[in-house]
Amino acid sequence: MIGLVDANNFYVSCERVFNPALEGKPVGVMSNNDGCVIARSEEMKAMEIAMGTPAYQLEGLRRRGAIHLLSSNYELYGDMSARLAQLLRDACPEVAPYSIDEMFIYLDGFDDAQCQAIGAALRRRIRRHLGLPVCVGLAPTHTLAKLANHVAKKQPHYEGVCLLHGESLTTQVVLRQLAVSEVWGVGRRLAERLAVSGIRTAWDLRECDPKQLRKRFSVVLARTALELRGTPCLEMNAVEQPRQRIMTSRSFGQSTGVKEELHAALRRHAQRSAEKLRQQGSLARAVMLFLNTNRHRKDQPQLSPSAMIPLAAPTDDTRLILEAVREGLDQMYRPGYTFMKAGVMLLDLVDAQQYQLSLLQPTTKAHPQLMKTVDAINQKMGQGTLRFGMTDADAPWQLRCAHRSRRYTTCWEELMEAGTHPGAIADARARREKQRLAGGKRLAKTRANGFTDHGNEYQQR
Amino acid sequence: MPSQLAPVATALPLTSQPLPFPPQTGRAGISGFPSPAQDYEPRTLDLNARLIKHPTQTFYLTATGDSMEGWGIFEGDLLVVDRSVTPRLGHILVAMFDEEVLIKRYALYRGTPHLCSAHPHYPPLPLEGTDCQLWGVVRAVIHEYLP
Repeated sequence: MIGLVDANNFYVSCERVFNPALEGKPVGVMSNNDGCVIARSEEMKAMEIAMGTPAYQLEGLRRRGAIHLLSSNYELYGDMSARLAQLLRDACPEVAPYSIDEMFIYLDGFDDAQCQAIGAALRRRIRRHLGLPVCVGLAPTHTLAKLANHVAKKQPHYEGVCLLHGESLTTQVVLRQLAVSEVWGVGRRLAERLAVSGIRTAWDLRECDPKQLRKRFSVVLARTALELRGTPCLEMNAVEQPRQRIMTSRSFGQSTGVKEELHAALRRHAQRSAEKLRQQGSLARAVMLFLNTNRHRKDQPQLSPSAMIPLAAPTDDTRLILEAVREGLDQMYRPGYTFMKAGVMLLDLVDAQQYQLSLLQPTTKAHPQLMKTVDAINQKMGQGTLRFGMTDADAPWQLRCAHRSRRYTTCWEELMEAGTHPGAIADARARREKQRLAGGKRLAKTRANGFTDHGNEYQQR
Repeated sequence: MPSQLAPVATALPLTSQPLPFPPQTGRAGISGFPSPAQDYEPRTLDLNARLIKHPTQTFYLTATGDSMEGWGIFEGDLLVVDRSVTPRLGHILVAMFDEEVLIKRYALYRGTPHLCSAHPHYPPLPLEGTDCQLWGVVRAVIHEYLP
C-alpha cells in the first residue's frame, strides 16, 4: 500500500504553528517580492480570493484587517518540510518526498485496517509534534493515493485519512465525481482533448482501453488509466505533465562526503532541472536542495539535510539557479558524513508566458537567447556538452519581504516568544518601544544641543 | 485574595510522578578480552545530545516576563521545547491561551489542573472550560551569563 501525506495549506499552516493569532482567520502568503498570493488558508479560499491574485489588489483588505498577508518565509517552510520528512522516516520503512509538502510513504505487508490505523496515527502525531495539519491518502498506486488524499481533504467525514482500493464501490463513486483534469498527470490541454473523445471523469479514463489510449494519446496516459484500476505502473518521477515542481535527483555511484564533489553533483542536477523548466515554459520561485546519507549503512552517521533558497524573481536562468545551489550547499553541508544521494527541486513554478515582469521587480540578468542556444546545443550534441562554470557571487539576494514572519527555526535572533503570564509579551514590546523612543529623543536632544553649542561658539567668535 | 494566593507556587510539590528519565547505569556485560585502549577512546561531550532528545520535534523559544523566576526562568532565557513529550503534572509547558503563547507550570491547584506561575501577582489559570492548547513541554532552560 502506498500512502501520500500532504500538508493542508502548508505555507499558511507553518505560519500558524508559531503565530496562534492567525488561527481561524483568512491568511495568505505572497510570492517573492510580495508579488501575488501563492498560498491561502481555507478562510481565504472561502472569500473567493484566487490563487495568483496580485498583492496590491488586496492591500485595502489587509489595511482594514480583514485578511492577513504575509511575505513568503522560505527558510521556515523548508525547515518544517525537513522536519516532516524526518518524522515520517522515523515512523515508516520507506519515505519519498515528492514536493515541499507532499511525501509518499510505502507500507508493504500491512492490511487495510493496519494501514488506516497507521495513517490516522501519523496524522495525529504530525499535528501534535509539529503543529501541522495533514491528510493521508492510501491506495495501491501513486495515482490513486493522490486522489485518495484529495478526497480526504475535501470530504470531512473521512477525518483526514482515506483509503481507496482499485476495485471498490467507494472508488467508483469517487472517480465518477472527479473531473479528469484532477487526475495526476492530466493537464488542462490534455483534459480538453480527452473531453472531445467523451472522457470527462476519472472513471471514464479508468474504463478506457489502455491500448487505445496508448495509440491515441500517450503511453503515460495509458499507464495512468491502469494506475486508476489499482495496477502500479508509474515510477515516481515518470509523471510528466502539469508540474508544480521539477526534481532531479540521483544516487551517487560512490558515496562521498567531499563538498566539491557534492557541489558538482548538485550543479549537474540544477542544470538539468533548469533545462526541464525551460522546456515546459515555466519559471521557478525557489530552489530546494537535499542530500541523503545511505540509510542502509547503520554503521555510518545518518543525516538528510535540506536547504531552501528563494529566488529574487521567478526565473529560468541557469546561472541564477546555480547561485542558489551554491548558497544552499553552504547552508546544509556538514563535514563528517558520506552522502549517497543529492537532489535539486525547483518549486512554486509559474507560467513564463503569463508572468509579466512588473516595474517594481528588480530586473534579473535573464538572457533568454543565451539559454535557448545552450539548450539547443545540448540537445544536438548530447546532454551536458555545454555547461556552466562557476558563476560570480556578486548578485545580492535582496528580496522584498515587508511582511515576512520571523525565521522561528533558523535564526537565533528571531525565535518565538513565550510570555510567563498573560500580557507579558505585550508589556515587553511596549517597554522596548518606550526605550527606543526615549533613546531616540535623548539622541535628538544631544544633537540639538550640539548644534546650539556650535551656534554659540560661532556667535562668540 | 492575593494574600491567599501567595503560597500557591511554592506549596505545590514539584511532581508526584517518578523522574521522567531513569538514571544512567554503568555499562555491564562486556564479553571477551577488553582492549586496553577502550578506556581512552576519544569522546567529546555534546550538549545537543544532552538537551535535545528528539531533534525533529524540538524548537527553541525565548522567555519574556518575570513571573516564572521562581522556577528559574528569567526574561530572555532560551527554552528548549520538546513537542513530542506527553505533559505530566509538574512539567513546565508552553501553551496557547487566548491567542497568547504562555509558559507556565502544569500543576494541581485546589484539586484541579491549572497553569501556575511562580509569582504571587499572577493567580493560577484554571484549565477546565478553556480552549487552552498545549504547544510543547519545556525540557531545559538555558540562562546565559555572558553575552
